[in-house]
Amino acid sequence: MGSRFAVEARLLHKEFISRSGFWHTKTKTTVAVQEITFRVNKGELFGLLGPNGAGKTTTVKMLSTLLLPTAGTISILGYDAVKQTQEVRKRIGFTFGGARGLYGRLSARDNLRYFAELYGLEPAVTQRRIPELLELVGLSYKTEDRVETFSSGMQQRLHLARALLHDPELIFLDEPTVGIDPVGARELRSTVKELIARGKTLLLTTHYMAEAEELCDRIAIIKQGSIVALDTPAALKRSISGDSLIDVQVKKESLVVLKEHLARLDGRSSMQVLDAPPFKTISIRTPEPGAVMQLLAPFLNPEFILGLEVRNQTLEDVYVAIIQGEQA
Amino acid sequence: MIGRFFRLVVRQMNVQLQIRIFNQYTILLFFLQPLVFSTVGMILARAAGNQTPDLVYTVIGGGIMGMWSGLVFTSTYDIARDRRDGMLELIVGSPTPLARVEAIRTFANVLAGLVSLAAAFLAAVLIFKYSLAGANIPAALLSLLLILFGMWCIGIFLANFLVWSRLGGTMVEFVELPVAVLCGFMYPLRVLPVWMQAISAVLPISWALQALDESLSGGRDLALLGPQWGLAFGISLVFWALSLWLDGKVHDRVRITGELNSI
Repeated sequence: MGSRFAVEARLLHKEFISRSGFWHTKTKTTVAVQEITFRVNKGELFGLLGPNGAGKTTTVKMLSTLLLPTAGTISILGYDAVKQTQEVRKRIGFTFGGARGLYGRLSARDNLRYFAELYGLEPAVTQRRIPELLELVGLSYKTEDRVETFSSGMQQRLHLARALLHDPELIFLDEPTVGIDPVGARELRSTVKELIARGKTLLLTTHYMAEAEELCDRIAIIKQGSIVALDTPAALKRSISGDSLIDVQVKKESLVVLKEHLARLDGRSSMQVLDAPPFKTISIRTPEPGAVMQLLAPFLNPEFILGLEVRNQTLEDVYVAIIQGEQA
Repeated sequence: MIGRFFRLVVRQMNVQLQIRIFNQYTILLFFLQPLVFSTVGMILARAAGNQTPDLVYTVIGGGIMGMWSGLVFTSTYDIARDRRDGMLELIVGSPTPLARVEAIRTFANVLAGLVSLAAAFLAAVLIFKYSLAGANIPAALLSLLLILFGMWCIGIFLANFLVWSRLGGTMVEFVELPVAVLCGFMYPLRVLPVWMQAISAVLPISWALQALDESLSGGRDLALLGPQWGLAFGISLVFWALSLWLDGKVHDRVRITGELNSI
């Protein structure tokens, strides 16, 4: 199969029907994913971002053959994910966030051995792959330990080893760093980078913007089942504007005076007051940070302003703006 | 291909064993429960004045009852646990068909059930001084093999319902006792009403159990045993074929409803 795309999703749509009532006669249809279309190039690390319930996991489960779409088509490495399920399953690996998906009473090695059999690995390959992968995810020293004794970070890393057992071309990682401490998350990110360096294609979902910004070649932001933005992290940041953000931390009693003063800002700048107990933060988005600073100059003393930060917009700002429905 | 299949069998049985070996519930289910069944059956039979009660419908029946309960409860528990722990969707997402995994797992559970039979049989010999003198041992072993095969095929058939829906477990547990009654684990089928005997006739274990009773009583008449074995084997194959047919439907349905996961 010679497709240059690892994933091609076209007008992908998924509805769930739930039944309630004593006789299960009442039905309710929930639209989880609404006609989304996107492609992932081979060798790319593609990110799928969105709030809880946006449809990220449902999308990943459809792509990884665990859910059937209500409508639309999916091509994975050139194979139809609905009709050629077995071919797709041989070539993909996937992990879902959290500590579920392992047999706690079994050792790390026995869990991997079991999945090696499910993936039809030859004994010699299994023998070689398990130590290699446990080394890759930094769990060599826990090989014979029962998984129920592992921390959630260790379990996440073991999940990744499981997903890589059959050396898949395409890997789906659904919130791989959820519940992991910062050191563990950094190690996992470095493993992900290594996989990309080895030519694998990855589709990652995450809530952590810094993680997406650091890792992803392209990002799709999904909101209420629809893709609302899709581009490189740099282009997404440009798309929202080249504005700077100025966060001004003020005393509560000074807020009214400062707000009145800042009302003189021209229409290209906007202001938002955020609670930051016991203080308040005025967040100003502006294309002219110098002009704002001039305006604030008379108030630059501890009686009014307790702290001030000028920064460029991050992917998180872009994400918040898009998800809150502001201009994209 | 065959090598791979047997490796998967060994691995699956190893997983089952490691998960269960220190589980007190398993010990209760496979060892103590059949002993209690057999002992109560024995005591009731002797209290009714029968000093040499039928081996099959007291002691061995208790063991088979334990095997059946063990199969139903462990299969239900296995799938509910896999669904709850997120394993079911990982298994479904692998290239090995779920039907094969369930078949192997059920096979492991049926084999584990032999512990029940062994416990009941030991109780018969050591406590109630039963003897197999005069029994047609080869025919009894073949009948026992067909009981295991029948249980395996029904187990695979029921596993489809367990995967189908989270409520499937309730349904399967509901059929546990009726099947035990209809197969005649604890008493001969002839004591059942005719309409119930008709239902029994479509359950392969009931035929194999009748053959086991006949064999342990020294029966050597192939004209009697042959059809019983044939029906036990044939009906088991029907259950097996039905399971294969259902598997594709279950696989599609759970991927539509999203019921592979309990979260």
